[in-house]
Amino acid sequence: MPVKEKLPQSHFEDNLAVFASLLREEGLPVGTTEMVDALSALSRIDLSSRDQFKTSLQATMVKNRRDQALFNRLFDSFFLPPEELKKQSERGARYKKELESKMDQASREMQFKGEMLGLSQDELQQYGSLPSEQRDRLQDFVAKTEAGVNVEPQFKPLLENVVKSHLRYCRSQEKRSREETVSRGTGSGTGGEGAEGSDGLTDYLREIDIEQIQAAELPAAEQLLQRLSRKLAVQILRRRRSGPRSGPLDLRRSLRDNMRYGGIIFKLKHKPKRRSKQQLLLLCDVSGSMKKYSTFVIHFLLGLQEVVRNLSCFSFSDSVENLTPELKGRSGLKPLLDRVIRRSKNWGGGTNLAKALDQLSEKYPDYLNAKTTLIVVSDTKTVSIDQSVKRLGAIRDKVKRIIWLNPMPLEQWSDYRSVASIGELVDMWPCSTIAQLEEVLTGRL
Amino acid sequence: MTIKLDELIKSFNKAGYICEESTALTVFLALDLQKPLLIEGAPGVGKTEMGKVLAHILDTDLIRLQCYEGLDETKALYEWNYQRQLLRIQMNRNLEGEQIKEDDLFSDDYLLERPLLKAIRAEKRSVLLIDEVDKCDPEFEAFLFEVLSDFQVSIPELGTVAAKNIPAVVLTSNNERELSDGLKRRCLYLYLDFPGVEKEVAIIKAKVPQAGDRLAWETARIVAHLRQQQDLRKKPSIAETLDWVRALVALNRKRLDGKLVSETLNLLLKTHADQEYFQREIGAEGVNSFLKQSGNGGEICKCR
Repeated sequence: MPVKEKLPQSHFEDNLAVFASLLREEGLPVGTTEMVDALSALSRIDLSSRDQFKTSLQATMVKNRRDQALFNRLFDSFFLPPEELKKQSERGARYKKELESKMDQASREMQFKGEMLGLSQDELQQYGSLPSEQRDRLQDFVAKTEAGVNVEPQFKPLLENVVKSHLRYCRSQEKRSREETVSRGTGSGTGGEGAEGSDGLTDYLREIDIEQIQAAELPAAEQLLQRLSRKLAVQILRRRRSGPRSGPLDLRRSLRDNMRYGGIIFKLKHKPKRRSKQQLLLLCDVSGSMKKYSTFVIHFLLGLQEVVRNLSCFSFSDSVENLTPELKGRSGLKPLLDRVIRRSKNWGGGTNLAKALDQLSEKYPDYLNAKTTLIVVSDTKTVSIDQSVKRLGAIRDKVKRIIWLNPMPLEQWSDYRSVASIGELVDMWPCSTIAQLEEVLTGRL
Repeated sequence: MTIKLDELIKSFNKAGYICEESTALTVFLALDLQKPLLIEGAPGVGKTEMGKVLAHILDTDLIRLQCYEGLDETKALYEWNYQRQLLRIQMNRNLEGEQIKEDDLFSDDYLLERPLLKAIRAEKRSVLLIDEVDKCDPEFEAFLFEVLSDFQVSIPELGTVAAKNIPAVVLTSNNERELSDGLKRRCLYLYLDFPGVEKEVAIIKAKVPQAGDRLAWETARIVAHLRQQQDLRKKPSIAETLDWVRALVALNRKRLDGKLVSETLNLLLKTHADQEYFQREIGAEGVNSFLKQSGNGGEICKCR
């Protein structure tokens, strides 16, 4: 048994509280209970063992596997071993020295008629960290102003204002480019509730063909799509017929209620009926012709994932690929995009619906049963149309219902035989614009 | 009943449960802090086994509650013995002047204990294993809050029943759905992953001592490689590895070869699709070439 060390005084607890707040900032739900548990756990271990210390904090503060990597990263950078702490403090001292020399240089460069410009410490620091060409440009501007004809010392406040405005502009540009990078990285926007119907942009996005949505409009469109796919899931899974009202006999309630009749079971009481859960199976066409609708497919999928517990998802072109484990892992958009787009064998290939449906029936028969509603997102462009229709018919007999969302513009439907043949078998709805998808939701499903 | 960390580690080894020190430490903390332990991980990594081993180590009863969709408190907590109550009522009708009271019918004599109540009322600290908690409904999960935080339950007819001895609670989850924050907050958390090759060899040797070093090493290598295959629908679990090794020992085999692996594959891969995948992507040839190179850390095949 390791020697238990007495916990140091409040300094230790303060440190732990700071660490907990760091975890909280990163989105981990570390509350008072976790803190109390962590402190209790630490009082029972050998504090000189870093491994034990880390395991104790991990067991008490992290309640999810996907957060463990984040915890490890924060732990390793917060609770540094002594040698690393020494290195870091040396690095810190070096950085401080560099910063001071940069500030010195900045104050020397930002002078007008031998006097320092009235810039704050932050502004001087910002000037020091500008790229050299921008710094040169600003210096050049100050020098030219100084060398101008009839330039009096009273010009100094004016010059200060110009320099400050320029620095402000640089700061806002930098912030914008940072935000754009983040937005591109996550693939989701920050429109919030502002993307409601009255918004002009939203109205425009509703009517435009999904494939023509520009990069700048993507975040708003993505939000709209996710919200609509959630509504769609509710619409599909809604029960329209009432089943038997009561469930199995509730002996406990029956007995209690019949005590007044001397224990003779006169009135029967039933338990509420349990509802069986429906399954939603999404089959997304990711062949070459559907590439332009990739945004639609992925965000539609994400929206459904948020509300449907029994959601399974497959992508297909000339074979099927199971994406359900990625959804179950709830690992977020990036791994999903990676799996669907970059790693997928199917992405951008030719479509063979017959072959894909064959694979689905053979490899994953348990996904196709009377509780399953199958949603296919595809433009119906496939080889072997007759065979595909035959296979689709066979699957239709196994599942509860098939809903086909077709992103091909409505006016092109008549040009393709596949649309008519498949449309005879399934409920097919256009969804080339978001407005059309909304229409699907207005009670017609 | 208290146990020290080093004793716990020794007991795990003695019971044939091979685990990392960090795993033992988390279990020790859960026992010492009297908090439930939530274990998550893929099927077959030893989550349920942990509960059983713990009961063995603590020399106490294992009370198991298997969760499933539709599980409710009458199956998990308690139920009244209605047949007996009805008989009592009928008997009383035949006795002149005997007036039956409601309290008489809803007493301990007519109470059927289910696992949760049994664990709470146990005279000795027991191990309560709540298995596959992710399979139960969210409503039942909320019901568990009272049991797991205060170790007491409320029975309307009897009042609040508090635990005589706080049980060691182990909850397991295959992570099929996200558990509520409320439940997680009441537990310590442990994630069990598939073991590495060396740990699996140690497990094989502990559980199937008849298996030779070479057989243990080769089976562990092949199983580890199969687990890396992203396209397998169900990765082989530790239990399946052990079944496989036992079968190989029964066949009196001292080492593996491609033909033997193909012939006994159904002990390891339990779906037709996975078996087809193996034959297509790896096959007997792939196994043979892997086994040749296994000493140099070579790859079994060119598959992803």
